[in-house]
Amino acid sequence: MATEPATEFALEGPSALQGEPRRRGTAGMGPWRLAFRRLRSNRVAVVFGFVFVVLVAVCLAAPLWADHVAHTDPYKNHLTDTVIVDGEKKDVVTPDGIPIGPTWQGEFFLGADGNGRDTMVRLLYGGRNSLLIGVAAALITTFLSIVVGVLAGFFRGFTDTVLSRTMDVIWAFPVVLLGVALGTALTLSGLQIGPVDISGRSKLIPILIIAIVYVPYMARPIRGQVLSLREKEFVEAARAQGAGSLRIMLSEILPNLSSTVIVFFPLMVANAILLEAALGFLGVGVQPPEASWGTMIGDGVKHILSGPHLAIVPGVMLVVTVLALNIFGDGVRDAFDPRAKIHLEH
Amino acid sequence: MGKVSKRAIALLLAALAMTVVAACGSDDDSSDSGSSGEQGGEIKIGTTGLDNADPVMFQTTQAVQAFQLAYVPLLTYAHKEGADGSEIIPGLATEVPEPTNGGKTYTFQLRDGLKYSDGTAVKASDFENTIKRLLVLGSGWSFFYSPIIEGSEEFQGKGDLKGDISGIETDDQAGTIKVTLTEPDTKILFALAEPYAAPTPAAKSPAKQLKQPPPGVGPYVLDIVDFNRQYVLTRNKNWSDIPGIPRGNFDKITGEVSDSVTKMTQDVITGQLDFMTEDPTGDQLPEVRAKYADRYSEQANPPNVYYNFLNVTVPPFDKQEAREAVNYATDSNALVRVFGGRLTPGCNFLPPGVVGYQELDCKYGAPDGKPDIEKAKQLVKESGYEGEKVTYWVNNKDPRPAIADYFRDLLNEIGFDADVKTLDQQVYFEQIGLKKNKAQIGFTDWYQDYPHPGDFIESLLSTRALSSEVTFNQGFVSDPELDDQLDELRPEDPEGAADQWADLDDYVVNEKAYVNPYGFEESSSFFSERMNADDCTGVHPVYKNDWLLFCKK
Repeated sequence: MATEPATEFALEGPSALQGEPRRRGTAGMGPWRLAFRRLRSNRVAVVFGFVFVVLVAVCLAAPLWADHVAHTDPYKNHLTDTVIVDGEKKDVVTPDGIPIGPTWQGEFFLGADGNGRDTMVRLLYGGRNSLLIGVAAALITTFLSIVVGVLAGFFRGFTDTVLSRTMDVIWAFPVVLLGVALGTALTLSGLQIGPVDISGRSKLIPILIIAIVYVPYMARPIRGQVLSLREKEFVEAARAQGAGSLRIMLSEILPNLSSTVIVFFPLMVANAILLEAALGFLGVGVQPPEASWGTMIGDGVKHILSGPHLAIVPGVMLVVTVLALNIFGDGVRDAFDPRAKIHLEH
Repeated sequence: MGKVSKRAIALLLAALAMTVVAACGSDDDSSDSGSSGEQGGEIKIGTTGLDNADPVMFQTTQAVQAFQLAYVPLLTYAHKEGADGSEIIPGLATEVPEPTNGGKTYTFQLRDGLKYSDGTAVKASDFENTIKRLLVLGSGWSFFYSPIIEGSEEFQGKGDLKGDISGIETDDQAGTIKVTLTEPDTKILFALAEPYAAPTPAAKSPAKQLKQPPPGVGPYVLDIVDFNRQYVLTRNKNWSDIPGIPRGNFDKITGEVSDSVTKMTQDVITGQLDFMTEDPTGDQLPEVRAKYADRYSEQANPPNVYYNFLNVTVPPFDKQEAREAVNYATDSNALVRVFGGRLTPGCNFLPPGVVGYQELDCKYGAPDGKPDIEKAKQLVKESGYEGEKVTYWVNNKDPRPAIADYFRDLLNEIGFDADVKTLDQQVYFEQIGLKKNKAQIGFTDWYQDYPHPGDFIESLLSTRALSSEVTFNQGFVSDPELDDQLDELRPEDPEGAADQWADLDDYVVNEKAYVNPYGFEESSSFFSERMNADDCTGVHPVYKNDWLLFCKK
């Protein structure tokens, strides 16, 4: 069950760090530099951040593996093909439908799926989709959350009521159920709003679904922080100098939200990847023949006895990616605002 | 790191759980599915569900298995396993009538004292109401009765349930029903033996699709608890024994609806379900074959054909070259693997076991040979549709998505720009049968409804079949030459005209490439340990599995 992110202290951005007792050797350091220094000193976070970068790099290199090592693409069926393994000719898929297991060589390195498609190639391409959707959804969530949070917190009153209650409505639904409901409807019919026409098979559909269902989880703490920021002296000073609302929001409020956004973003990416996997597993995320780690787990389940790796390998990739993002995200939070306890709970 | 560790562990467990839960299913076998005796108690059947709650509208083999228990027509099929089940026997009528009026008129006499499950008396006019509903609602089966029954076409044109079908005369007092045809048709008795022709009370069967099945005459009463989750068949307290129709061995039969064939199979293995209407897939199939051979069997029954419809009214399959290209490129051996070995390669449209089946000399090559991809590519070029966008339609029941992926890949290979559209199994056949959807190509199959070659060629490829709003002629084939041949064969005894039916088979596959058949499925019967899978499989040539014949050990 999703609950409100715990914000025991309002995040006040790197500027808040200036009020902290200075440690030895940090005198004269700016808040950003101080935060990066703290992050660098958190070796666990740095290692897992590096793991994530490696995963991204490996997935981006999918075409290289497909073209030069596996000599196939992620969509090509090899149902009646054979492959030489240890000098022995083997069916990629046996006549009774059992796919070949890992060959530990270029072709079918991790075996094949039920349609004779190269699992390693699909794993890498699937990773690209999972990461793309995770990052894109998190970016959209972040943008929408900032807009909603700033407008609601800054203007308060009627604007706040409308936006906050709308967020409450979205919040009232469990994330996965809402995602599945939207996914089922939109993958069947696509999305047509005015001139915008998105096919039900487009990756934009899971991206938008994930982005929207997570907005309340980020918009609420941002709104809370804006409510606090708008009462600060520097905002009053700007107002006294004749700055309008838009200018105050852009030049005074937004910069002070940066640490909150930076702390939230990796966590949001991790959650978006997990939700995409859940949607893909349930058949309402990435649509075939495209793969994602979630759809691969779903497909692999059919062969869990004869080819457990088909479900386990994408599962492990998912775990490692999400783990890396979360640990790195925690490191970022500790670095940017050690007083805050901010996390998404599910 | 305390917070980090907790979250890390939680996420690790959450992500692994998705894999493990799905993989393992449930091993809880504590549910009690009924008494241990042969009679009474309850059995649970796993199924992808009914495709419609209305007895005149359903289309699938899953549905006919349930509906035939609650709706007995004027005539029915013998409740016997194997080929004997093809015999037509009296149902609500006292006997199978001999035709009069030059083979155009059949007169039925209702049995005395028949009552629906709600206790009301069966009236002869209820039969006419059923046929009217079938036509007014645009049932896919309409073409079985219209225009062959006199006046049915005019009635269908008006579309008013209060109208009259001149070819059906009923007398409620005498309990007689006279059906007059426009011309002799040897299929009509088979059509009248189908569960969708069974009378239901006119007062409870209006001119709209029903969400809950109306009362019927049958050993059981069908009640849909939740269309997407469960239906229940309980004994009909107003059932009066009809010779040849068994009472059934169970007090209650529960249909547990699920999209997951994997879970269904696991539940039959563990005994949570007693039977499944679907076939095990993936690597559960070899497991079931090896470990549970004593309660699992495969039969080429009912006679069936698996094929792709090719919509001849829209590009690219309005060109014969494009249709032939798909036939040349299809590799049945690849599809055998997708079916887990349960497919017999074939290029006939009439399957083995149906009158008129003669193994075709297929011009696209031997069905179990290699495909001719180069020829296919050349034909696509000749068609002028190279690079044409093609959407392959399929439903979500395993292994259909895998079939779709194979054909998507194949269509791309031979020069089209192919994509897949996946619909839910429960709405799929209705959607591909609607002309407005313009489905270009897609998965379909056909299991024998009645033992007559017309059930395949006429039902699936004739202009008459297009008279239904939702048609089974999903390729929208309308060929005057084919229709003329069918007209000539209509009054003929199929056994005597077997060669002509074989010629038509050759015509639709080799000469015109209206369809892309690739094989015949061995369907399976998989029972729980409680069930008697030796003597009571109920394998039936029309109902697939006749649940009235099921029994426990």
